[in-house]
Amino acid sequence: MFKYIISICFLFFVVEGQAQEQQDELNIDSKTDSIIYKTAYGLRLGVDISKPIVAQFNNTYSGFELVGDYRLSKTFYAAIEMGFEEETTFEDYTNSTSEGNYIRLGFNFNAYKNWLDMNNEIFIGYRYGFSLFNQTLNSHTPNVNTSYFPANTISTPITTKNLNAHWSELVVGFRAETFKNFFVTVSGSYKILMYVKEPENFKSLYAPGFNRIFESGTGFGFNYTLTYLIPFQKK
Amino acid sequence: MKKIILLLGFLSIIITSCEKDDYCLKNPVTPNLILRFYDDSNRKTLKSVEELYVWSTGKDSIFSNVKSDSIYLPLNSNTNKTVYHLSNGSSVDTFTISYTPEEEFVSRSCGFKINFQEVSFSSDTFWIKDFTPSSLTTIDSQNAAHVQIYH
Repeated sequence: MFKYIISICFLFFVVEGQAQEQQDELNIDSKTDSIIYKTAYGLRLGVDISKPIVAQFNNTYSGFELVGDYRLSKTFYAAIEMGFEEETTFEDYTNSTSEGNYIRLGFNFNAYKNWLDMNNEIFIGYRYGFSLFNQTLNSHTPNVNTSYFPANTISTPITTKNLNAHWSELVVGFRAETFKNFFVTVSGSYKILMYVKEPENFKSLYAPGFNRIFESGTGFGFNYTLTYLIPFQKK
Repeated sequence: MKKIILLLGFLSIIITSCEKDDYCLKNPVTPNLILRFYDDSNRKTLKSVEELYVWSTGKDSIFSNVKSDSIYLPLNSNTNKTVYHLSNGSSVDTFTISYTPEEEFVSRSCGFKINFQEVSFSSDTFWIKDFTPSSLTTIDSQNAAHVQIYH
């Protein structure tokens, strides 16, 4: 929660900064600035550290994600994320495990105007996600809603292989350059499921990369990544 | 500015909407067997059983001294047969239901329901004079009575 409050304060700071800048322009309109601040273009690679941290506290989850992006223009970045996730879903009447790989492809648009040669970002982006996974129904109890003839729990696992999911997601995030060429990113995403292959007489309850599939076919994601920029050129 | 408002709105959606979104509102999930009692001499009129007792072999009574023209009974999903003893206070009839239980997935929160396939009924005829039908292809809902009992 604090993260969001701090981020919101940060936004208002940005608004004032812009107003100040415009006034300066009015005062010294005849002179043009001869110094051009160059920023680095290149490939940025890193890992999502939120997933191993979550796995530490939750022994029914494990995940790993590699992230990368490539700067196309002043404000546009092509982005890619790929990883592995395994999660066990506990419901009242079922217990199931999903595990598999995923990839997300898309772009980010940086809406933040940097001061001088700073390299921070407030970005919005779009991703297309694809995941290939297996889901195992570990155990289930038929919902018979009677205590007169209670149902037995069936613990014969039923695995369905080669399930897949396709989705679109909107990403909003904040990225700060903490050391030279080293970035910390916090982002959240809202996902809309386009297609998911359902197991026979069951449902895909969790898709790697998508997270829990809500009843409405939507989902939410969170990333906390550390990335390093390999600069190719300066523009 | 517009962008920032949009961003804030978007973030608030993310923060507030990660809650459980489905509760099992379907009740019951697995159907019960519904019996209705009719007058044997005038088969279109309902006739209550004045003192009805119902129990399954070796178990407590489900109904004990009730006056009703309609009852619902759970079926045992672990076996292929449920035997009920129905008493009108003076004599006891054994009502047997045979079936094949089959699982069907309903939803995340409701889990699996049991559908009873190829159902057939049989009964003694001490106070129950007749019943209809003698078989059903499936019991998958309890929107209507499954068996009419004439007494």
